[in-house]
Amino acid sequence: MKNIFRKIFYGLLVRPFLKYIIGVQFKYESTFENLDQFIIVANHNSHFDAISILAALPANKLKNVRTIAAGDYFGTSPSSEGIMNLFFNAILINRKRKKTERSSIDILDEYLKNGESLILFPEGSRGKPGVLSEFKKGIAVLLKKNPNIPFVPIYLDGLGKVLPKDKFLLLPMNSIVNFGKAILPKQDKVESIVAEVKAAILELKDKNNKNKKYGYA
Amino acid sequence: MKILGNNVQPEVAYIMAIVFGVLLLLLFTFYILSKKKPSTMMDELFLRTRSWFFIAIGIGILVIAPSIVGTVLVSYVSFIALREMFSISYFREADRTALAFAYLAIPIQYYFAYHGMHQPFLYFIPVVMFIGLPVLLVLSGKTKGIAVSMCLIPTILMLTIYMLSHIILLFSLEIPNFEIGASGLILFLILCTSFNDVFQFTWGKLLGKNKITPTVSPNKTWAGFIGGILTTGLLAYFIKFLTPLTGLQAILLGLTIGIAGFLGDLIISAIKRDLQIKDTGNLIPGHGGVMDRLDSMILTTPIFYYMLVFFIN
Repeated sequence: MKNIFRKIFYGLLVRPFLKYIIGVQFKYESTFENLDQFIIVANHNSHFDAISILAALPANKLKNVRTIAAGDYFGTSPSSEGIMNLFFNAILINRKRKKTERSSIDILDEYLKNGESLILFPEGSRGKPGVLSEFKKGIAVLLKKNPNIPFVPIYLDGLGKVLPKDKFLLLPMNSIVNFGKAILPKQDKVESIVAEVKAAILELKDKNNKNKKYGYA
Repeated sequence: MKILGNNVQPEVAYIMAIVFGVLLLLLFTFYILSKKKPSTMMDELFLRTRSWFFIAIGIGILVIAPSIVGTVLVSYVSFIALREMFSISYFREADRTALAFAYLAIPIQYYFAYHGMHQPFLYFIPVVMFIGLPVLLVLSGKTKGIAVSMCLIPTILMLTIYMLSHIILLFSLEIPNFEIGASGLILFLILCTSFNDVFQFTWGKLLGKNKITPTVSPNKTWAGFIGGILTTGLLAYFIKFLTPLTGLQAILLGLTIGIAGFLGDLIISAIKRDLQIKDTGNLIPGHGGVMDRLDSMILTTPIFYYMLVFFIN
């Protein structure tokens, strides 16, 4: 039921809205057909990022893809928890939990072991539009623990102008969701994997800016 | 004549049929040629023609469907053009409220245009928006860079909404003893404007030597410009049956559309050069952005409207 709702919501409402009103272009460099499980990594500028990625995914992949949200912010009441669950299939992680509790990496790892896919923003919080800030190590740890799961790099461009940090007003602006090819990390050290993931996103960014004959880099 | 339940004047139907026929023929030719001997130029030509085909479908809807459908269509084109101009320009975060209000101008302006409310149509953007937007910018309290935004936002509104919306005024223009009506006038305007682009390009390629504006648009030559407007004048004479005009008036209109189209193209070219971009977007394959295609329409539409009104009075 929840899955059918999400399919209709993203496929028939959000996707056309993003495409025809907001001005988001979806670009794919590979298909998801042969991909059962993956970790999506993207640069993060806007609250709109996760919604755009979910809308860009093929409808049959939606059911296993989970987003991650701050439990201390979104999970404070049953209603907001329900909304996060229904619309975003979100894993709520409390940032202010005690040291003795399980680490967030362990929680996410368990979801991966159950065959689910994740959307991660390794920059942590939303940075300045167009600038890639330092990546956190969590993504690399997860990839190292699950060597058979590839990561799919995504470069998001312009969404920071559609809905910047701390703003509520949605503004139509031409923007791009660019999916890269799925990659299995070649390295096995955490630091090297982080570098590999970052390089993949930067490569997409460069390609995007080169192909883009208009607008600013 | 009836097409899909809409009354269509035979003249309009014939012209549209010719346009679609020629486009299909070109499309077929380019497709065969690009399959036979693949080259980037052929692919580009094929893409360009295919986009023209979709544009022609839009024009067909505008001249055949009820005027409300045409109004919605043109206002959506205005919306995309506005979004494009906003996306390529530098704006501050403090401008966001004003930008949102700028989008709201589209339905309001097209409402006035659709109902033929000439007074508010004329003053809404140049007066109300021109005052309202700077006020909103001032209320944001951030003055660094505000002068640029104050100039840029109203100018973009004029270019993308005000000028283009004149096309909808044609629907409510009443001309005695003229049966074809708005569809003929719109077709005349669009044919003259589009073919003027093609004529100027072709004459420039054939005979062009001396550049008019080497620093703005190096492809523009005197031969292209003069050959282009003269050919457009000639075209206007041959399709004057779409309008209530006499031969001389049609030629004058054709020449003016030629000059205006050229200038509109130059204005957008200059803006792109300043921003160091090649195209305003990538929505139309083979052409670039919507504004790359609309550049000449922006100037020809209001000039055509006011000259027409002048002639028929």
